[in-house]
Amino acid sequence: MGKGKSRALPGGLIVLVLAALIPLVVRGDYHLRVLNMVMLYSIVALSINLIVGFSGQLDFGRSAFVGLGAYWSAILMLRLHVPFLVAFLSAGLFCTLIGAGLGLLCRKSSFDYLTLITIGFNEICRLIFLNWLPVTNGAMGLRRIPAPSLFGFTFDTNVRYFYFSLVLLTLCYVAIRRITKSKLGRAFEAVRDDPIAAAYSGIRVPDYKVLNFALASFFTGIAGSAMVHYTQYASPFNYTLDESIYQLQMAILGGLGSLPGSILGTALLVIAPEISRVFYEYRLMFVGVLMVVMMIWAPNGILGRAGIGERVIGLARFLPMPSRKAARTGGEAR
Amino acid sequence: MFLQYVINGLSIGSVYALIAIGYNMVYGILELLNFAHGDVYAVGCFVTLALIGLKQHVVVAILGGMMAGFTINLIVERFAYRPVRFSGRVTPTISAVGIAYIMRNIIMKIWGPETYPFNIGIKASYFTVGKVVFGTLQIYILLIAVALMIFISLLLKRTKMGQAVVSISQSIPTAALMGIPVNRVIAMVYGVGAALGVVGGVLFCAYYESIFLGIGFMLGTMKAWMSSIVGGIGSLKGAVMGALILGLTESFVSGYVSTVYRDAYVWGVFILFVLIKPQGLFPAQISEKV
Repeated sequence: MGKGKSRALPGGLIVLVLAALIPLVVRGDYHLRVLNMVMLYSIVALSINLIVGFSGQLDFGRSAFVGLGAYWSAILMLRLHVPFLVAFLSAGLFCTLIGAGLGLLCRKSSFDYLTLITIGFNEICRLIFLNWLPVTNGAMGLRRIPAPSLFGFTFDTNVRYFYFSLVLLTLCYVAIRRITKSKLGRAFEAVRDDPIAAAYSGIRVPDYKVLNFALASFFTGIAGSAMVHYTQYASPFNYTLDESIYQLQMAILGGLGSLPGSILGTALLVIAPEISRVFYEYRLMFVGVLMVVMMIWAPNGILGRAGIGERVIGLARFLPMPSRKAARTGGEAR
Repeated sequence: MFLQYVINGLSIGSVYALIAIGYNMVYGILELLNFAHGDVYAVGCFVTLALIGLKQHVVVAILGGMMAGFTINLIVERFAYRPVRFSGRVTPTISAVGIAYIMRNIIMKIWGPETYPFNIGIKASYFTVGKVVFGTLQIYILLIAVALMIFISLLLKRTKMGQAVVSISQSIPTAALMGIPVNRVIAMVYGVGAALGVVGGVLFCAYYESIFLGIGFMLGTMKAWMSSIVGGIGSLKGAVMGALILGLTESFVSGYVSTVYRDAYVWGVFILFVLIKPQGLFPAQISEKV
């Protein structure tokens, strides 16, 4: 355990330092904007991974929580003029509450019903965003949402927001990693792999499902809040079922059960539509094809267990190139 | 007004019933959340629309649409569902969602997002009893739904093929050991389910006199799924009753509570129902089968 940590930590630190240097190289506002969206969506994908990848519950309504977090903190700041930090954290707590409530509803219900209930929840939220005119301003959406400011420092440029998102993503990543490596995370995995066996091992399956939902909803909520303060505009059309599916695909593509995978999957699916206009038009078609193809040949995505990544490395081992391991053993033999 | 709401609810419900029958048959037998059902039959309905546009007879057009739905589902079953049939719950469901998106984008590519007028030549006429307005088309639709329900239950009970389907729904390995060609029968079930869906979809479009992209998912798969769960998974009678209840709920909510939030309330009622009675009103009698 300790050995693994000491090895993983410098690697993570190197990646972090390299990431922090990106704004020195990437100057364009547009590119930074895309990178910021990648980081913010990564938090959503990580929370989806916590539910689908680690706990085995299929949730089709994540963008409803993104929307709840976004609208909650936007409305608090626009109408009640509370400080950013309060709005931001309370958005997370609000989503935790709603997530726990929804989890309690799904406590006893089986897989099919959970899927259906999350879709229904997404529809209910979308209709409320769209039609509760006095509060959400309906289809017009909320405009001029203030940029976040902490202790007198306002994150109003893309570079500043880059560091804000980077710190936020790092914190969320570390938190989710800690959760998945703890007793809690192992309990989630036990529930995913075999609920009956988990119950016999003393894990209260319904309670862990609720806890999982509530925890993941916290991260989704703060990601939604961070996104809405960045784009400074909340529209009910951003929180639809299609969005949920697209976000789900980010987690699936990267690999369910792999946290770096979620970030990779998000990066691919956020950057690709920006590079190619054609891809943007056909993005849902592409996601559909990707879902079918991946479920058949690589249900664990790129970085998941026995996923595409491991298989490519496995193939490389059979190539006649002297791989590192072979070279080392060869050296010892000599 | 109350009676009018009842009539409206029953006529919307009978349209949902047609779609729910095909859905519930596949759902009950294979226990796969068929997310793609609506979008597959939507392709069939658009094919029907195209054939009507080519001045074909309505019956020919509907048969063509059914053939299209049947063929598409055979292909989809072979390449998207069969390889993942035994890999848990999450994997096949996501695969089905993928198919739904592919189908919807095919429609989007060929026909675009517009709403087209849809007319199958049945003149919609109305007559009034007291203050309540009846539509003749609605009565036809309800009759067709009930007739289909009876026809399919007879098919399942009385024919050799039907019995094969029932045994597969109980245990696939055992059915295979009994010499039932499992793969072929399951493919047939999917194909027939899609063809039934096309019939339902065509009548659905005839009822609203228009056709657009959204008939697949939100008006098709979701309503059929809700009806199946309210009525009881795997029970054809349940599908029809669940659909009628769904229609009545929609009609009453938009009549007495709110039109804008209709779907939100219906979903809310539905979620409450699932929590109270998850097995549905008319659960399939599994103990009898065994």
